[in-house]
Amino acid sequence: MTDGASEVLPSPCTRQVRSYYVDWRMLRDVKRRKLAYEYADERLRINAIRKNTILPKELQEVADKEIADLPRDSCPVRIRNRCVLTSRPRGVKRRWRLSRIVFRHFADHAQMSGVQRAMW
Amino acid sequence: MLSTENDKSAASKDSTTEVASKSQEGTAEAPKQKLLDIIGSMTVEVSYRKKLKQLKTREIKKEATNTLEGLDSEHAMLQRTTEDVQGGKPLSPELVEAVSAVASSLPLNKKQTESELLAQLRRHEETTDKQKKGGIINIRNVISEMAVKRQSPVQSGVRISSRISLKVDEDDQRIKPERLSPRSFDSRRSLKVGRRLNIFTKASKETENALKTVSSPTIWDLEFAKEIAAVTAQPPRNGFEEMIQWTKEGILWEFPIDNEAGMEDDAEFHEHIFLEKHLKDFPKQGPIRHFMELVICGLSKNPYLSVKQKIEHIEWFQNYFEEKKELLQEI
Repeated sequence: MTDGASEVLPSPCTRQVRSYYVDWRMLRDVKRRKLAYEYADERLRINAIRKNTILPKELQEVADKEIADLPRDSCPVRIRNRCVLTSRPRGVKRRWRLSRIVFRHFADHAQMSGVQRAMW
Repeated sequence: MLSTENDKSAASKDSTTEVASKSQEGTAEAPKQKLLDIIGSMTVEVSYRKKLKQLKTREIKKEATNTLEGLDSEHAMLQRTTEDVQGGKPLSPELVEAVSAVASSLPLNKKQTESELLAQLRRHEETTDKQKKGGIINIRNVISEMAVKRQSPVQSGVRISSRISLKVDEDDQRIKPERLSPRSFDSRRSLKVGRRLNIFTKASKETENALKTVSSPTIWDLEFAKEIAAVTAQPPRNGFEEMIQWTKEGILWEFPIDNEAGMEDDAEFHEHIFLEKHLKDFPKQGPIRHFMELVICGLSKNPYLSVKQKIEHIEWFQNYFEEKKELLQEI
């Protein structure tokens, strides 16, 4: 899938550009993130009606049904913070978005700024 | 007698100029700068001569006016000056007689001097008219005009000076001696009279056409432009150029860091906080009003949304409750 190549860069980029995602799971994760971004406002508002003690319960039940009708991939809970380079679902540090193996590889080659082997 | 006095003064000046020219010829072999200085001094002499002539003509003019009936003659002269005649304005006959007398008194070419004096008189009247009408006299223009048009056969140095123009414009550009076009004296205030000020540049038609066609760039033009940019983009020679490239691409922030970069919130604080005016369409009693007031309270404390986004939020709720009106009325 050439999803990454569909966007045209405004300025010429001379660095390596990856035109493929690492695997299909990563692609699905990307789709989920996009949908979650689109439906974020609606979900927030409908949830505000649902999680209420002031409005009548009938209204809240209707809101429940509405939010269930939204596409499944639009909920943010389904997003998994995968490693950006290897698409590993586990062992990913949030700050660098990398899995532990990749992180170790780069840190040992001194390609991570400010990261040093711990010794105390 | 005036004529004899003029003769004597003219003769004395002639002698001085002859002597000066001889001495100058001797030093003409010196380097260029000296030559130019000499030519500059010679032009000064010429202007001095002109001033003398002007003084003479003024005296003659005054005499002529005194002999006439006073103010009426001046008015008549002014009226005549405002007429548009080919080759200049008709001067009073007394002045013409006086001019001829002066020309005869001088040892130079009579006809040339006569014509020059008449031209000067015309210029005088022009300037006086302008002064009376409150117009601005560009003295520089007048003097430069006078110095440039001078072409006497006796003093060849003057011709050289007219070619090598030492006069410099305000923009430090050489003023080239302009040639009088035959149409320059057509109208009283024609556009071609006077030195070009070079303020405006001629708008060529080609540039206009070029501007029109730019408005519709095709895809191929964009692609071509991208190709050119990619080819001409040299790799950065040093860290500074690399940082510049990154800033252009958006990877690096612009320093000194602007906290509000990319955020253009033109709204005042009261538009963020006092949002009750957007609740006009809601019912004033009941649970919905209570709910919306809570929503507004939360929005007023939110610094991350813009005013437009907050208004959209409230409008969404409005639409939602309007759709559910039937349901609400059942309850």
